[in-house]
Amino acid sequence: MDKIELKNLLFLARIGAKEEDYPKIIEKLKTTFGMIDQMNELDLDHLEPLNNPLELTNVSRTDSEHNRNNKKEFLASSPKSDENFFVVPRIVE
Amino acid sequence: MNFKDIRESFRNKEISAKELTQDSLDKAKKLSNLNAFISTFDKDALKKAQHIDNNFNDYKVLALGGVPIAHKDIFCTKGRRTTCASKILENFTPPYESTVTSNCHQAGSIMIGKTNMDEFAMGSSNETSFFGPVINPWGDSLVPGGSSGGSAACVAADITSLATGTDTGGSIRQPAALCGITGLKPTYGLVSRWGMIAFCSSMDQAGPFARDAFGCAALLDAMASYDAKDSTSAKRDKVKYEDALRNDFGKLKIGVLKGIDQLGISEEVLKAYDNSKIVLEKLGHTFVELDFSELSSGICSYYVIAPAECSSNLSRFDGVKFGHRSDSSNISDLYLQTRSEGFGEEVRKRILIGTYVLSAGFYDAYYRKAQKVRRMMKSKFDEFFKTVDLVFLPTTLDQAFEMNRKSSDPNRMYKEDLLTIPANLAGLPAISFPNGLANKLPIGAQFVGNYFSEDLLLNITHKIQEVSDWHKIIP
Repeated sequence: MDKIELKNLLFLARIGAKEEDYPKIIEKLKTTFGMIDQMNELDLDHLEPLNNPLELTNVSRTDSEHNRNNKKEFLASSPKSDENFFVVPRIVE
Repeated sequence: MNFKDIRESFRNKEISAKELTQDSLDKAKKLSNLNAFISTFDKDALKKAQHIDNNFNDYKVLALGGVPIAHKDIFCTKGRRTTCASKILENFTPPYESTVTSNCHQAGSIMIGKTNMDEFAMGSSNETSFFGPVINPWGDSLVPGGSSGGSAACVAADITSLATGTDTGGSIRQPAALCGITGLKPTYGLVSRWGMIAFCSSMDQAGPFARDAFGCAALLDAMASYDAKDSTSAKRDKVKYEDALRNDFGKLKIGVLKGIDQLGISEEVLKAYDNSKIVLEKLGHTFVELDFSELSSGICSYYVIAPAECSSNLSRFDGVKFGHRSDSSNISDLYLQTRSEGFGEEVRKRILIGTYVLSAGFYDAYYRKAQKVRRMMKSKFDEFFKTVDLVFLPTTLDQAFEMNRKSSDPNRMYKEDLLTIPANLAGLPAISFPNGLANKLPIGAQFVGNYFSEDLLLNITHKIQEVSDWHKIIP
């Protein structure tokens, strides 16, 4: 992994980092991938990937009507809101 | 006092719920140096205790009636702060209650507080918490294990007799072993994940901590339920785990691993393990040697799948709808700065690993391959359970270690989970219990069972604890 790859990765993950810290981050990631790469020694061609240990399929709930108005409760958890909306910095110029 | 004695004393009116609660709150304060709690709720707890005492006849019949409990701060509690030990949720008060805590409230327990943990359950030493590390009650400079370190320390120090935890790669069993108590990771799907802050959804599973299997059985009775709000909840007939402690499962065939002494396990842990095998033999059980040479590849698979799911699950923390928000004049910087300020180093690292292994070009090389290793692990256990009833192995490679000793070497820290991760990858239940003491520190061993065999796991641990005293030793 080089600095450009890391910069892209940080952007994808929406994580900020100072450029001076890039070598340290790359080193740490390389160490972990060094461990992970031991998987390459295994013969896995004949195996199907496993997503979920119980191999469950999607469960859907029955459609039911309810009149639950908990807007206020959820807006109360927001760092910034007005009466009806979450407030964020201007998106459209 | 252990859970059984506490409940008995309450039921016999020898002690009131209020006295029990006050005692737990006093101990929590006295032992605040352990940093086991992120929040305590003195007033609410005493109010509930008073309510229970006023309605004694309704509560004396409940599984956890009148018993103080501590919950890992990963479970959302309505109207009470839930932080997941992260700065990003430092001031978050959920508008809803998790199914686990709700079930425990309904079973008559009294929540005295929320326990410290590794940030977002990512860690094996409780050193990644934004609220500082938890200290192991067995030694001031020792880690309690993680990620449910606060819950384990709380029970080990006798602050409460019960606590909840979650286990994604060993986060109940490893701290149970390092703190000298009993902890159970149930089958994936047995306990609802609703309201439990997600780290790795396909492996996260909540479970009980107690001094012994009896306490774990009673708490699991309360925690386990089918929940339509969790799409991976298992719909099954309700089992009474406490009653199952009295069952006779007969003579069991127990699987032990060939070449276990080649895995880097300490001499002390191996000695305790061998001693436990003697106890099991005396109880009439027999051993079958199993070849599990693939065991160590579990770590590789786990450290791809868990970060992948973590990067997806933690994308919801953007500073808009809840949690910490940084002051930024545009939305892009708001996301970036909020997440950089709000997440600790280990969490940021795992998000980066997860984003990398899920990105185009690397998906097949990492994520898909890790899922195949996961299949291999599950197939291996499926094969084992054709010939044995249980698999028996140590819980950890070593005993509680010094703070900062492994945090500077992440791969060494990740290896902490070597013996616990396979059960998580396969979704199997496993129980860790104290089975020795060396250098004045506890040691743990674990049984891994087939799917939904918690009754058997609790039963055999209970039988061992009837003829041994390791679980009774308090630091």
